[in-house]
Amino acid sequence: MQDTVHALLMREIKTRFGADRLGYFWAIAEPVAQASVMAVIFTLLGRSSVAGIPVAIFLFVGILPFKFFGKLIPQIGAAIDANKALFTYRQVTAIDPIITRILIEAVTFIVVYVLIFTAMAWLGFDVFPDDLLALLAACFLLLNLAVGLGLLLCCAVTYWPDAAKLFAMVMTPMFFISGILYCATMIPEQYWYLFSWNPIFHLIELSRDAFFVSYKTPIGDWYFVSFVALSSLSIGLMTFRINRHRFTN
Amino acid sequence: MIHFNNVSKYYATKQGRHYVLKNVDLALPTDRNIAVLGPNGVGKSTLIRMLGGADFPNKGQIVSNQKISWPLGLQGGLQGSMSARENVRFVARIHGYKNTQKIEQQVDDFAEIGKFFDEPVKTYSSGMKARVAFGLTMAFDFDFDVLLVDELGAVGDANFRCKSEALLKEKYEKTKLIMVSHSMGELRKNCQAGLVIINQDLRFHTDIESAIKEYEEHYVATS
Repeated sequence: MQDTVHALLMREIKTRFGADRLGYFWAIAEPVAQASVMAVIFTLLGRSSVAGIPVAIFLFVGILPFKFFGKLIPQIGAAIDANKALFTYRQVTAIDPIITRILIEAVTFIVVYVLIFTAMAWLGFDVFPDDLLALLAACFLLLNLAVGLGLLLCCAVTYWPDAAKLFAMVMTPMFFISGILYCATMIPEQYWYLFSWNPIFHLIELSRDAFFVSYKTPIGDWYFVSFVALSSLSIGLMTFRINRHRFTN
Repeated sequence: MIHFNNVSKYYATKQGRHYVLKNVDLALPTDRNIAVLGPNGVGKSTLIRMLGGADFPNKGQIVSNQKISWPLGLQGGLQGSMSARENVRFVARIHGYKNTQKIEQQVDDFAEIGKFFDEPVKTYSSGMKARVAFGLTMAFDFDFDVLLVDELGAVGDANFRCKSEALLKEKYEKTKLIMVSHSMGELRKNCQAGLVIINQDLRFHTDIESAIKEYEEHYVATS
């Protein structure tokens, strides 16, 4: 299994990041650029900061996990198809390319996260999260949620290939209703019910709560997101197991 | 021996399940070369893939204590978006080799496809693919007890055939073949026993001639 994942890692890294060393640069530069452009725009628009938090940091804490979520799910969804010929070897089972892609995306996410916040620290912002453990817990739950949904997508595309397009369509409005550009305290209380169903909204709220001691989220609920994330992972794994025959042919 | 325990394999089609094998119980000896016979679409490649662990029965299981190779054929085995060299590296790595250079060199020497060795496999002709697939299987220093060959000879040129037969003889003295081919001459030359797929069942013949006879009686319309 380690050998197989190692072999798949080398193979995926090469096709993803290109043959030359510049590929690694683009893997990091692309999400950094996306998040930074948005942060610069909103800073220049002169948005007032929330609870004394600089706008750029506020945005990064929301954008980065959301991008990770939106990238990992289609990557898992396409993992089987992209490596189909390699299942010829009995060492390679359906879960191996999934594990490989989770590793690649998670490591990229961590590197991008650390890089951006290091750059912000260099620019003079206070970037160290006030409750690092809670922030890591939120990221971990996000990972579980995304892996579960990714496995479901992976099974869904074997029945209906357009499922991946549907997912992409859903992700665009999700960007605006997941509390990336705003937080719960900016929304009038009577409309909270419109957002409180959304586990990503909860996770971003909880991340900000963990990051800034001055921000207390009125909505973010650890029990709710834990329940959704772990259910997603277990349902995803079960569905994947039941459908494992569909991946080999 | 390779044991089939109540093996069923089907494909889902719009008109329901299409069974390739249904409730097959069989013990296949591995002390001789076996030809697999059947017309197109009857499930020869599926059988080979299941023996090689690339595909799985929907019901039942195939068990063996022999070292069985991966299916050596034109479909599968080589990922089209990767070059031959990357494919070779991949296979070496999943078998735990840390230094893959020697194996790469060996396959390169055997395949003789020149600069295409570093081009994506999807740009290859079927003959070139066959050369790489065969060279790849032969490059490892572990020995298979059973080698699964799925119509590999048909696309090779004379030079490739000579080379591959010589290599098989020299390197694989103890290895037996399970072979799919539509060339009866090739099967007669290489195999002693036969396996015919009829009515979703496997019929084993200890003699290749009787297997060919059953195949022709059942499938070949005499006009």
